[in-house]
Amino acid sequence: MNYLAVSGEQSLMDKLEILSDAAKYDVACTSSGVERKGSGQGMGNCAAGGICHSFSSDGRCISLLKILLTNECIYDCKYCQNRCSNDIPRATFTPEEICTLTMEFYRRNYIEGLFLSSGILQSPDLTMELICRTVLLLRSKYHFNGYIHVKAIPGADPELIRRTGFLVDRMSVNLELPTAEGLRNLAPNKHRKNILAPMRQIQTGISANREELSLYRHTPRFVGGGQSTQMIVGATLESDWQILHVAESLYRKFDLKRVFYSAFVNVTGDKALPSLPGGPPLLREHRLYQADWLLRFYGFQAAELLDEKRPFFNVMLDPKEDWAVRHLEHFPVEVNRAPLEQLLRVPGIGVKSARRIVAARRSANLTFGDLKKMGVVLKRALYFITCGGKMMYPVKLDEDYIVRSLTDARDRVRFGSDGMTYRQMSLFDVEQFSLPVSPAEKLQDAVGQF
Amino acid sequence: MIIYLCEDTLESIFTAIYKAYEEKRDPADTVLSFTDEPVLFAEYAEVVPDRDRVCSVIRTLERRFGEADYLSLCMALASENPKKAQAVYRTVADGLGRNVGRGHLFDNLADRYVHAAFAMSRGAGREIEHLQGFVRFQELENRVLYSVIGPKNNILTFLMPHFADRLPRENFVIYDQRRNFFGIHPAGKQWYLLHGEEAVQPALCLSKEEEQYRELFRHFCQSIAIRERQNLSLQKSMLPLRFREYMTEFRKD
Repeated sequence: MNYLAVSGEQSLMDKLEILSDAAKYDVACTSSGVERKGSGQGMGNCAAGGICHSFSSDGRCISLLKILLTNECIYDCKYCQNRCSNDIPRATFTPEEICTLTMEFYRRNYIEGLFLSSGILQSPDLTMELICRTVLLLRSKYHFNGYIHVKAIPGADPELIRRTGFLVDRMSVNLELPTAEGLRNLAPNKHRKNILAPMRQIQTGISANREELSLYRHTPRFVGGGQSTQMIVGATLESDWQILHVAESLYRKFDLKRVFYSAFVNVTGDKALPSLPGGPPLLREHRLYQADWLLRFYGFQAAELLDEKRPFFNVMLDPKEDWAVRHLEHFPVEVNRAPLEQLLRVPGIGVKSARRIVAARRSANLTFGDLKKMGVVLKRALYFITCGGKMMYPVKLDEDYIVRSLTDARDRVRFGSDGMTYRQMSLFDVEQFSLPVSPAEKLQDAVGQF
Repeated sequence: MIIYLCEDTLESIFTAIYKAYEEKRDPADTVLSFTDEPVLFAEYAEVVPDRDRVCSVIRTLERRFGEADYLSLCMALASENPKKAQAVYRTVADGLGRNVGRGHLFDNLADRYVHAAFAMSRGAGREIEHLQGFVRFQELENRVLYSVIGPKNNILTFLMPHFADRLPRENFVIYDQRRNFFGIHPAGKQWYLLHGEEAVQPALCLSKEEEQYRELFRHFCQSIAIRERQNLSLQKSMLPLRFREYMTEFRKD
C-alpha cells in the first residue's frame, strides 16, 4: 500500500490504513482480564477470557481495533518505522473519528474494543492528554462499555496517567529493549528510568484500588485488567537468559499481567540494527513465550530453565523437555499418585490435563488410554511417566536416548502416510493370496471335468 | 433392556431421563436413542415431552451438580452427535449414583460415557467461543443488525444471551442457516427464538454506510498483518475455513 502523496485532506480510509499499519508491530493485542456485564444502557461488555474476532494472514489474532492516535513522532528510535527521520506518510485521528470507528466496528462485532497507542506529538503530556480525552469521549458520550487498552506515555504527567487509568481496562508501558544499554543505543530519547516510573505508578494504583474495592464495592476500577509490557527480541545482543530474567523480575516486582515478546523485524534499515536474512527470529520468540508460560502457570523459575553458562534455549527441544532431560532424577512420575506440582513438570502434560488427571484418579485407576483422552501428549510424556507402576513401553531413563527419541519423533513420517497400515487379517481374504485366474480355468469351472 | 425413543430436543431427553428414574431402570441396561433401530430382546418406549418433568430434572441437575455443570450438560445436548442422549443420561446416572457433588460431574473422565459427554460439551463450547468472535452483523436500512451463521452444533440459544448483554439497545437478528432458526432481539427487550413455518429469510436491503465500514474493516485486516511473519497455516488452524464464508473480511462480495 503506497500512499506517497498525501494531499491536504485525508479520508478516513487513508488514515486507518496509515495508522493501523503503524501500530501493527505492537503485539499486546489481547482482550482478556476483565469480566464485565453489559450496563443495559450503553454498548458492550467484557469476557474474562478475551474474545478473538478474526485472524490476520500472519496468524495473529485481531481482537482490538489496534491503531495509533498519530504516527507523527518527535523521537528518533532506530528500530521504529515512525521515527521522525523516516520519510513516510503521516496522519492523525481526531477523537471523534476514533470513537465512530470503534462504535461502528463494535456494533458489527468486528472487534472486541479499542487498542490506542500513539507517536509522541509535540510532547508526552500533550499526547497523553489527547489519549485521555479520546477515551473519556468514548466512555461518556458514546457510552462504550467494551474493552479499552491504552499505552501510558513515559514522561507524561502522572495525573494524566491516573485519570486515564480509571477509564480503561488495561494499560501498558513498553519496555522496548530488555537492558538499559540496548535502549540507550537504539532509542536515544527514551530512558529506562522514565519507562519504569509510570509502570510503578500503575502498579501502586492498582493495588491501592484493590484495597478500596474490598471496602467499597462500587468504587471505580483502576486498570482492572492489569498492566502489560513488551520487549523486542533480536534487535540487540541480549541473551535469552537476560530477557527471561527481566521478564521474571517484571512479574515479581511490578506485578505485571503479561510480558510480550516481539521478534524484531527490520523496517528502517538503520545501520545500528542487525540484518536478518532468515526473517524475524520467530523460533526464539516462540521459545520465550513457552518459557513465559512455564513461569506463570507451571511453577518454574527462570534460573531453572537457563543460567549464565547456558544463556540460550535449545532449538530442538522446548524449555520443559529440556529441563526434564537434564533432571531425570525427578522421573518417572507415577500418574496415579503424584501431586499436581509434579505432574505439571512432565513434558506433554499441561495445566488442564494435570487438573483433569487429579480429578479423575479419585474415581478410577488411570491407564495410558485414559491419559490420551484427557489431552496428555503421550508422544512426549511417555518417557517420564508410569501408570500403575508401569511405563508405556520399555524405555531407558537415559538422557541421550530420550533426547534422540523426542527429536526423532518430529522428523519421523506419520504412521500410515506412506500407505502402510494395520489391517485385521481374515480367512476370507482370498484375493491377497490367489493367483490370477486363467481363461482355461474359468472354462473348466463352467463346464466341469469333461 | 429398555430403549426410550426421544426427539432431538432438550425437553424430550430430560423427560426420558425422568422416566428412566421413575420406572427404576438399571442405567447399564437402558438406552436413550433417536432412531428405532431394532435391537434383539429390547423393549421400546416412546417419550412424550412433559413440562413438569423437564423442570424437575433441571432443578435436580442444578442442585446436585451446580450451575456450571448443568450448563455443560446443555451444551452437550446442543452437539450434533447422535449419541448425545445416551452419553448425557449415563453421565447423569453416574453422577447421581456416586453422589459426586457440585462442579465434579465431569471428573470421572476414565468412564466412557462421561468422557463422551465431556467431549461433546467441549466441542459445542468451543464453537460458541469461536462464534462469539466470528459472528458478523450487517446493518440493514432500518438500522437492524443482521447476521447469518452455519454452526455444526445447535448453539444459537447460547449465543443470544451474549449478544443481548453486549448490544442491549440494538435490534438484531442472528439466523442459523443450517437449522432455519432465527434468534431475534428487539432493542431493550427480551430475546426469543423463531423456528418453523413463519421463519422465512427476508430480502435484505443494506444501509448506505454498511458498504463503507465493510471496506474499512477489510483494509484494516490487510494492513494489520506483518508481511515478514506470514503464516497462512496458523491462520487456518485458528480460524477454520468453514467460518469464513459468513465473515465480512473473507467474503468476495
